[in-house]
Amino acid sequence: MSFLIIDKVNKVYTGKTNEEIVALQDISLSCEQGEFITIVGSTGCGKTTLLRLIAGLEQPSSGTITIGENAVTGINEEVTLVFQQYSLFPWYNVLDNIGFSLELKGVDKHERIERVQKLISLVGLTGFEKSFPYELSGGMQQRAAIARALAYNPKVLLLDEPFGALDERTRHRLQEEFLAIWEREKKTIILVTHNIDEAVFLGTRIFIMRDRPGKIEEEVLIQLARPRSRQSKEFTDLHLHVRETLENILE
Amino acid sequence: MKTVFNFCKKHAVSLILPLCIILFWEVAAKVVDNRALVPTVESVLKRFFHPFADLLGIGNYLHHIFASAFRVIIGFCMAVVIAMPLGLISGRVPILSRMINPVIEFLRPICPIAWIPFALVIFKTYSVANLFGVQYTRSIFGDIQIGMLFVIFYGGFFPIFVNTVYGVTSAKNIYIESAQLLGCGKRQLFKRVILPSALPSILTGLRIGLGNSWMVIIAAEMLPGSEAGLGHLIMYAYELADMDIMIFSVILVGIIGSLLSHGVKLIENKTSTWQAKER
Repeated sequence: MSFLIIDKVNKVYTGKTNEEIVALQDISLSCEQGEFITIVGSTGCGKTTLLRLIAGLEQPSSGTITIGENAVTGINEEVTLVFQQYSLFPWYNVLDNIGFSLELKGVDKHERIERVQKLISLVGLTGFEKSFPYELSGGMQQRAAIARALAYNPKVLLLDEPFGALDERTRHRLQEEFLAIWEREKKTIILVTHNIDEAVFLGTRIFIMRDRPGKIEEEVLIQLARPRSRQSKEFTDLHLHVRETLENILE
Repeated sequence: MKTVFNFCKKHAVSLILPLCIILFWEVAAKVVDNRALVPTVESVLKRFFHPFADLLGIGNYLHHIFASAFRVIIGFCMAVVIAMPLGLISGRVPILSRMINPVIEFLRPICPIAWIPFALVIFKTYSVANLFGVQYTRSIFGDIQIGMLFVIFYGGFFPIFVNTVYGVTSAKNIYIESAQLLGCGKRQLFKRVILPSALPSILTGLRIGLGNSWMVIIAAEMLPGSEAGLGHLIMYAYELADMDIMIFSVILVGIIGSLLSHGVKLIENKTSTWQAKER
């Protein structure tokens, strides 16, 4: 029995003129604890909706999602999501943002600061503890948001194009840093992206999605050794394969 | 001397227009040459330096400032105490907001001054002192008429209420969902997300409400039943045709009004830097 199971999930919205819009159709996937799943697909294929369902922010129209022993029926502490848009609380500084969940749990101040400091150095934000989100660059804000999610210590971490708004160099650096964090913390990660390179570089498995309706087109197992080289033939072959699949969908 | 010079240098641009106005006033006074119509700048401004001098036999200007300010403070605090919690609740409970919104939208555009005759009929010239069973007293409470408190309250209530509701309802979904995804329950959500994100808007409401209250009190004091306050001083000077004191009092009203607004603005800037920088 797998750790996370998505079983025949459908999501249907009702449009303005009462027509049915099928956002997700028959999505089934399962993954083991500690896996790094990446999902690629063009904009509007329902990737974000899928993450929202797993996070419990929305309910599927039919089908079930199970994490561990429990079916997901709403927001729960097994899972959290890092949004694509900047989501740090603008009225808190970096320290209070990252320590948000710890304070809610009633962790005492000394321990909280200690744990937050560890995360701050983990994501490379040392020296910015007292900075407010508006004083940080986009990349730094996303690191803080990831640290905030890690502080919550969920078993499953969902990421919605977390590096999407960044330039290529910053993105590559953050990807590498994030891989190191994943290898240390051994979390189950589902990362959604439209960037093929990112999906191949990070994932243990890639799910390629098609749009209208959102469906899983293909599953690709990536057995490249880490650290992965973007220049290797295996990497570029996989990259090409995913690209071809995506292009076939568009036709 | 040097600090004065630096201040002038820094604010030179903002000083140009006020200086032009004063110059124009002085020239007009010279041209008209009738102090009952246009008093000289000096004859008006010199009154600032005599805060304890009796004006027209009804007390010095500090007394009148104090009377007006005290009324506003009490009436405005009443407005805050009622409008803010009501706004916070009705922003979060849609059914409540749908219940009270029509009434709010009807009452809001009515100028508080339109209620003054009504307030005079209902509350007569009863003061807070009368409320406590004191028939006549020269204490400050004898100067705080219930009717005035009513119109100040009215003037302050709506901006505070409307801005609080706006602040509470416009909390961004992404912050709410992020908090929930980090284990934030309903009560904590209100305290840690809704309230802080509404704060800038609430403070704007307080600033506008305080400004309104200050405007309303001056008008209210001009009407019968008032025996103190800057509005009363202006009206009394009008009756005695003392243009000096009339203009002087109006300038006082302006200075205090802008100080009040500036004071709240300072708090706003301190607590809501994030909002100004957000976009």
